[in-house]
Amino acid sequence: MYAYTDFDRQFVHARAAQFRDQLERNIAGTLTDDEFRPLRLQNGWYVQRHAPMLRVAVPYGVLSSKQLRRLAEIARRWDRGYGHFTTRQNLQYNWIPLKDAADVMDALADVDMHGIQTSGNCIRNITADGLAGVAADEIVDPRPYAEVLRQWSTLHPEFAFLPRKFKIAISGAAEDRAAIAWHDIGLQLVKNEAGEVGFKVLVGGGMGRTPIIGQVINEFLPWNQILVYIEAIVRVYNRYGRRDNMYKARIKILVKAEGQAFFDAVNAEFAHILADDAGGHEHIIPRSELERVAASFVVPAGVAALPALDIFEGAQGGYKRWLERNVHAHKLGGYRGVTLSLKRIGIPPGDATDAQMEAAAELAERFSHGELRVTHDQNLLLPWVRESELPALHAAAKANGFATPNIGLLSDMIACPGGDFCALANARSIPVAAAITERFQDLDELYDIGDIDLHISGCINSCGHHHSGHIGILGVDKDGSEWYQITLGGSDGSTLSGAAVPGKVIGPSFAADEVPDVIDAIVQTYRRERAAAERFIDTVRRIGIEPFKAPANAQRTLTAAAR
Amino acid sequence: MKFIDPHHDQWHRVVGEDGPKPDPDPAPRLLLTLEQWHAVRDHWPAELPTAVEVPNDHAIEDLAADLPRLALVVLQFPKWVDGRAYSQARLLRTRYRYAGEIRASGEVLVDMVLLLARCGFDAAQLRADQDLDAARRALSFFPGHYQGDTAHAKPHFAEAR
Repeated sequence: MYAYTDFDRQFVHARAAQFRDQLERNIAGTLTDDEFRPLRLQNGWYVQRHAPMLRVAVPYGVLSSKQLRRLAEIARRWDRGYGHFTTRQNLQYNWIPLKDAADVMDALADVDMHGIQTSGNCIRNITADGLAGVAADEIVDPRPYAEVLRQWSTLHPEFAFLPRKFKIAISGAAEDRAAIAWHDIGLQLVKNEAGEVGFKVLVGGGMGRTPIIGQVINEFLPWNQILVYIEAIVRVYNRYGRRDNMYKARIKILVKAEGQAFFDAVNAEFAHILADDAGGHEHIIPRSELERVAASFVVPAGVAALPALDIFEGAQGGYKRWLERNVHAHKLGGYRGVTLSLKRIGIPPGDATDAQMEAAAELAERFSHGELRVTHDQNLLLPWVRESELPALHAAAKANGFATPNIGLLSDMIACPGGDFCALANARSIPVAAAITERFQDLDELYDIGDIDLHISGCINSCGHHHSGHIGILGVDKDGSEWYQITLGGSDGSTLSGAAVPGKVIGPSFAADEVPDVIDAIVQTYRRERAAAERFIDTVRRIGIEPFKAPANAQRTLTAAAR
Repeated sequence: MKFIDPHHDQWHRVVGEDGPKPDPDPAPRLLLTLEQWHAVRDHWPAELPTAVEVPNDHAIEDLAADLPRLALVVLQFPKWVDGRAYSQARLLRTRYRYAGEIRASGEVLVDMVLLLARCGFDAAQLRADQDLDAARRALSFFPGHYQGDTAHAKPHFAEAR
C-alpha cells in the first residue's frame, strides 16, 4: 500500500491541527455551528440522529492491518465498540462525541489516516475495485493512479466549495467491480492498440432522486493528462453547476441539461489549460511520479507465482461452499483473494466490532502480508492469500464469524445504516436487512437462488445503492411512517448484471412487515420462471418485471387494507 | 494577503439614491459595477486607477481585454459556500495573467483565507465579525500542498527532492 512520505505525514497532522483549531473556536463560540458545519464535514464529521458520525477515509479501499487495529482501538476508546464499512469503501463510527473529534483525528493521523473530504461539496474518496492490483482480469493496476488523483484532489483550493459532492470511481480490470458508470466521474483504465495506457472517461452518472448513467466524454485520454482533464471537468462544474436547488446540483444534472455543449466546454477548458495557462502543464503527471507512487504497490516481499493447486480437491460441505463463493481468482498463480463476509444474521451488513476488526487484522497479518481491502459491497477482502493456506484461513475465518459462504448471494446485501442512525433517512434499513437475512438463512436455498444483488437504501440519497440492485429496496416516508418501494432489474454495470441501469418500481410502496414476503414472492417467481442456468437478473431481463408484480402485490396485507 | 478595512478603503463605489449611478464621471479609485464599467469604458481615461466588481456567475473571460486597464477586480461570495469566485480568480491569474489586485468580498470568513490565497486573491474584506488573528493563523497551518496553485505553480511532485 502507499507508503507515506514525511510530507504526507506532516500534511495529515497539519490537517488535524487545523481541525482542532476550528473545533476549539466552535466550542468557544467564535465559530458558529452553521459555519463550522461545512468545515467539519470536510473532515468527515456529520451530526447525526444520536451522535456525531465520523467517516474515515480508506483511500480506494486499501487498508493495512496496523491501520485496522487503530480503527479497532478508536472504536473501543471513543465509540461503542464497532464501526460500519460503507459502499464507498470508507469506515463510519456512530457514537464519538464531538468534543473528542480532534483527538480522534490525531489518532488517525498517527497511522496515516484521516477523514479528509469524506463529506462536503468537494471531491470525495476515489473508490476502486476490492481486487485492484490482484484481479485475474486486470488490465492496469488502478491503485497508483488512484493515489496520484487522491493527492491532487486533497485540499484543492479551487474545488472546496462545489455546487455539491463529487464522486470518482476507477476500474482497471475487464470487469467493472467499481460501478464506475454510477459516479460523477467514472474512469476505466485501458490500453490502446500501441499498448499505451489511457483512461476512458465517463461523466455525469449518479444515484439519488434522478438516477443517471454516466456518458463517455473521452474514449482514450493518455494517462498522464488525467489530472488536467479532471480539472477541466470540475472547473466547468464549479462554474456552471446549479446552486439554486440542492436536489438539482450534481454534475449529472448539468450534463443532462447541456449535452454536447457540456462536452465542448470541458474539452475547450482542457485545451485552454494546456495552451494558455501559466503553469498549465504542471499537472501533466511525470513518469517519475507515477513510478514513485507505483513502487508502493508492488507485490509484497515473499510473494511470487506458485504452482496452482486444485483447491477443490477433497473439499466438502461448508468449506467447499466457501471456496465457491468467498475465494476469488488472482493474477498470480497459486494465490487467491478471499472475502471476509460481514453479512451475518443478527449483525447489520458491513458492521464489525472492535474485536472483529482486531481478528481481521490478525488474519491479514497471518495470511495476507498485513493487507486488507474494504469492498464496495461492505465486506473485507484479503488480497494475498496462498492457495495452500486456504484451509487454515477458512478455519480461522470461521472461528471469527467471517466465513459465511454467501458472497454474491442474496444475504450478501448492501444496506446503508438507515433510520436507526442517519438523520437523513426516511426509514430504517437495518431491520429490513435483518428480516430478509433471517428469512433466507438456508444455505441450500441461497445457493439455489444464486447470484443476486439486493441493495437497500433508507432514503433517496441512495447510500445503499438501491438503484443498481437487481432487487432494490428504498425507504420512503408516507404520512410520517416507514414504507418501502421495491425496484427490479437495476445493474451496477458488471458483466453479470449488464449495462448500468436503474431498477424499475414494481408498484406502490409496501409496509415494513410485508417486505420479506415480497422478496420471497419475487424470488419464488424467479425460481418458477427461470430457464436453465439463468441467474435472477437474466430472468428479469428476459421476462420483464410484469410477471413479478402480481406475486409481489399478493403479499399486501396491511397496505391492501389501507388502500 | 491584505485584509481590507471597509472604513479605510481607498476604493469608492459610485452610488445614488436608486443604487449604482448609471453613468459615473471619471475620477480616480472608483469601484464600478460591471454595468457602470460597460457604460463608461469607451471614454474612460486610461491613466485613472479603476476597479470593477464582478458577480460570481459572470463569465470572467469577457473582462479579459479590459484587464490591463483595471488596477483591482473585486470578486464576490454571496454565500461563503458558493465557490464560483475561486474559479474566476484562478482564471484571471493563470489564463489572463492579471497582475492587479484581486479582492474577495461578500461573506468572506476566516476559514476561506487559505483557499483564497491559493486561488490568486491577494486581498480580502472579511465579514465584520471575523477575527483577524484567526485569519492570519489560517494562512499557515500547512507546510506545503499537493497541487500547484496560483502562488506556487509546481505541484509537490514536481519539487526537487
